[in-house]
Amino acid sequence: MKAKLAVLVAVGLMGAAVGRAGDNQAIAVDGSTTVGPIAKAFAEFYMNRNPGVNITVSESGSGNGAKSLMNASCDVGAMSRPMKPSEVKGMEDSGRLAKAHIVAMDGLAIAVHPSNPLKGLTLAQIRDIYTGKIRNWKELGGPDQAIVVISRDTNSGTYECFETLVMNQAKMFEKTEYVGSNGAVRQRVMDTPAAIGYVGLAFTEGVKTVPVDGVEATMDTVVEKKYPIARPLFFYTNGMPKKGTHLESFVNLYKTEEGRRIVEDTGFVPVAL
Amino acid sequence: MRTETRGMLDRAFTGTGVFSILLLVAALLVILAPLAVRGLKAVVFQGTVEHRRVLLDKFGRGDRAAVQAEIAEVVEARAPVYVMMDRFQSEVEAMPLSQRRKMRAEFQEVRKLVGAILGDRSGGPASLLMRNQYGATRWDRAQVKLQALLFAETWDYSDNSSFGKKVHTPRAERFSGTALEPMFGYFRGNIGRMLLPRRTVYWGFFTDDSFDSHLFGGIWPELLGTLYLAVGAMLFAVPAGILAAIFFAEYAGDSWAVGFLRTCVSTLAGVPSIVFGLFGLAFFIGVVRVSPSKSVLAGSLTLALMILPTLIRTAEEAIRAVPQTYREAALSLGGSRWHTIVSVVLPAALPGILTGVVISLGRAAGETAPIIFTAAVSVGKPLRLWQTLTQPTPALPWNIYNLATEHEAVEEVRHVQYGMVFALVGMVLLLNLAAIVLRARVARKLRA
Amino acid sequence: MIDSTGCRCRPSLVLDDRTRIRQRILETAGRWTLGAVTSLSLVAVLFIILFIARDALPFFRLRGLMEFFADKQWYPSGAPPHFGALTILYGSGLVALGAALVAVPLGIGAAICLSDILPFRARQAVKPVIEMLAAIPSVAYGFFALVVFAPALQERGGLILSVVAVALGAPLALLAGFVAGDLVADAVPEQRRGTHRVLAGFAVTITGLHLLGGLVEQLAGLRIASGTNALNVSLILGIMALPTVVSISEDALQSVGRELREGSYALGATRAETLLRVVAPAAGSGIAAAVILGIMRAIGETMVVWMASGNAAQIPQPWFNFLEPVRTLTATIAGDMGEADQMTGSERYHVLFAMALVLLVFSFACNTTSELILRRSRRKLRGG
Repeated sequence: MKAKLAVLVAVGLMGAAVGRAGDNQAIAVDGSTTVGPIAKAFAEFYMNRNPGVNITVSESGSGNGAKSLMNASCDVGAMSRPMKPSEVKGMEDSGRLAKAHIVAMDGLAIAVHPSNPLKGLTLAQIRDIYTGKIRNWKELGGPDQAIVVISRDTNSGTYECFETLVMNQAKMFEKTEYVGSNGAVRQRVMDTPAAIGYVGLAFTEGVKTVPVDGVEATMDTVVEKKYPIARPLFFYTNGMPKKGTHLESFVNLYKTEEGRRIVEDTGFVPVAL
Repeated sequence: MRTETRGMLDRAFTGTGVFSILLLVAALLVILAPLAVRGLKAVVFQGTVEHRRVLLDKFGRGDRAAVQAEIAEVVEARAPVYVMMDRFQSEVEAMPLSQRRKMRAEFQEVRKLVGAILGDRSGGPASLLMRNQYGATRWDRAQVKLQALLFAETWDYSDNSSFGKKVHTPRAERFSGTALEPMFGYFRGNIGRMLLPRRTVYWGFFTDDSFDSHLFGGIWPELLGTLYLAVGAMLFAVPAGILAAIFFAEYAGDSWAVGFLRTCVSTLAGVPSIVFGLFGLAFFIGVVRVSPSKSVLAGSLTLALMILPTLIRTAEEAIRAVPQTYREAALSLGGSRWHTIVSVVLPAALPGILTGVVISLGRAAGETAPIIFTAAVSVGKPLRLWQTLTQPTPALPWNIYNLATEHEAVEEVRHVQYGMVFALVGMVLLLNLAAIVLRARVARKLRA
Repeated sequence: MIDSTGCRCRPSLVLDDRTRIRQRILETAGRWTLGAVTSLSLVAVLFIILFIARDALPFFRLRGLMEFFADKQWYPSGAPPHFGALTILYGSGLVALGAALVAVPLGIGAAICLSDILPFRARQAVKPVIEMLAAIPSVAYGFFALVVFAPALQERGGLILSVVAVALGAPLALLAGFVAGDLVADAVPEQRRGTHRVLAGFAVTITGLHLLGGLVEQLAGLRIASGTNALNVSLILGIMALPTVVSISEDALQSVGRELREGSYALGATRAETLLRVVAPAAGSGIAAAVILGIMRAIGETMVVWMASGNAAQIPQPWFNFLEPVRTLTATIAGDMGEADQMTGSERYHVLFAMALVLLVFSFACNTTSELILRRSRRKLRGG
């Protein structure tokens, strides 16, 4: 008898717990590591203002963001590339509507070790390095050292952006080292004199960024659309978030003055309103 | 072969054996030493006044009056810096255009570094991100930034056959003749007065929330998340594991079915941890839908499956180690078989079973791969108990990976990474120590 | 006292029929319940295989076996994509080989030392060390490999390798010298033995040291372009596999009874001869099982390889070049799962499950083999 009562109470508690969690006090953000710093700073800022809300941020890759949004396992999919047609269709098939919010702009800086004398690269040269046509810094007027080519992992939106903007679908050099995040690319380039990599603008401290086609990668050149390897960063939601919900005000944070300052402070470029 | 040669070969053989043991010990030391030493530095370090400010503002800890007195002191010490910067600012405005642009860019860099050391200028506009509000909380980081402020790092590329060499030029030279020039000397001479470094023991590192993606505060959410996951896994795995062990040790015969079951258990033990992760995602979240997305519950279930074989094995060994005479005595007193097991065998086997439980607890706490897809997030608050059913959590193993590779300022949070590794390894090794002590007691009891 | 039936147990040896029947029924029911709970592992294993296979087979249906096992191109997001997993399979194999090269000699050496050389006290002191090595979480090993070891290899790789070479090679050269001296001395007439022994020993030692010196010179000049490579993870995985190898081989050595050893000693054999010629062959299958399980542990490990292997999908040139970055199955699953869109059921998603299936089949095969070996050796020892 007692045992039965206990079970009943436990089930009741569980039900209550599930009910409680359902009232949208929790916002789950999942997706790109590039958008991660913005999402994390937004979450921190928002939770500070609204202590009752728990915002979790997973940094697991853009594709995962799209997938989680499709499965309804997150509320905001953070992505460093636009959704693919297949993903949009997947959303529709599961009765959901992908709504994109461009939270910031970002440039992909070409990063080398500060000791590298390189003065600049053209898009074609970058492509040649990444396809393995140029394999030694000597060929670019540098010292006689094999180039260590570093790329983001194929699961990242950053990789796909680089693939479309720079590679033109040409195949990556087979010796390319893949690492899991922007921070890791930066770290590897910082530690390795002969390395080259590409990172988001927020991740350039400690490495040397190389002008591409004569244009430096800075916030200004990205805003002015001069820098050739630039891309928007997205928050995706399922339809327009309902007015007055925490989700709505969280997603629209990027439009506010504070949001724009946070974007800038984390090293990205706020979008023009 | 001569006897001496044989003796020598024998000694060489002995030497090789001892050598490999020594190598093993050395490997353990080489791995643990840096983790322990640098991990402790997350707790014991030279903390600046900024650290004490953070503690007071965010956690309400510390002697308010004393900290405020310190703040007054440093504000006074910092004032000349801001005076010089303001004077320079107006000087720049008066410069010819081309020079103005160049100076502005350089000044911007200086201003950023001063901000990184001292934090927001009091009275100025407040930053939104904590990383800009507060200066360097640790004296070692402050030193690094001071170096960057005093000496601009440039590279000499004149030798074409190799990579450039690092050259440090004093920044003061770049601003010579301006109002900013004396600031660098002032900084060098008065950095201590501006930051008031003091030996700090920050136990709060383990019990404080983190702020601004781990740039400030402690690792409580991760620690708590790890505990939830590990204990949750035990809740599912221990009953199942012990029951299965009883079956294997007391009931199972030598039939082919039992053999097959045993094979299944050892197969389960051999499944790579990442495969458990995939399975947890596909089954617990995708099919059973224990929670709408990643959650502590889903992670615990996945971990429980993973540690089940270890539990079964250790518990079975412990049960088998109980002398047969115990059982015979109990049975001869008229107890049923089940009764015998519950009231005689299990209590006798308990220490052995506990050893297995403790070791599995450590294993569940330390595994990363199974929780990547099922439970772990990079940022989240510490959860309440009921929230574990539906919400994901940060956890030590995942956040070590995350901070070491994905964080935007890996170098700035290096001490946090070491601190996390220290906490995790410390936790697991303590659990193992407990297991060793337990086992020693069992051995003594059995011998007696 | 209340037993599980809820009735009071009388302290009497004679049970009435009702109680006995009731007990019998409960006994059977309990047995079945326990069996059912135990079958949980069976269910879990079946479900794991089922779920992994369910998502893995579509890949082979869509792209065929040839591409997966024979193609060297791994461009999962290219247009058109290539899903050649050969390089990745190779990477897993290479680091497992490296780990085995570290773990097998060291592990067997340590196991012999533990079972036959060290006194009881020292053994009690060493055991916790091995347990600690086994207990340290994989992410901590990965962190060490990435943050401490990789930069060290990159900056002072040559130095580290030469120190290792000297530490291993110099004693070996010395030993070779002594043995050669003895062998030569045996072959010449009595009166010239002394000089010959010294000369021969000296010559061999010098030659050995000279070769070693050449090797060290080569190694010292070595520039390791990137510290996250196969060598790094092989070493760390080797250390991680050590506890498995040590404890299982030690069990195998222990299970060879005292009688065999005593017999051998009685015939005048030294400890080395006893162990190598008598004990090791008898324990051989157990040691083989230990090696298999150790390799299995190395292949199944995720975090270390994900963090520190460099993740380049390539077959190093030449094939044994451990200084090149490689990519492994586990790291690919962990890293690529993020992009593989599950809902649309793309090949990219299924290929990861195909990899998981390969891992699963491999670990299943390893497990079964080692189990068979162990069972047979146990029977043999019991029978012998």
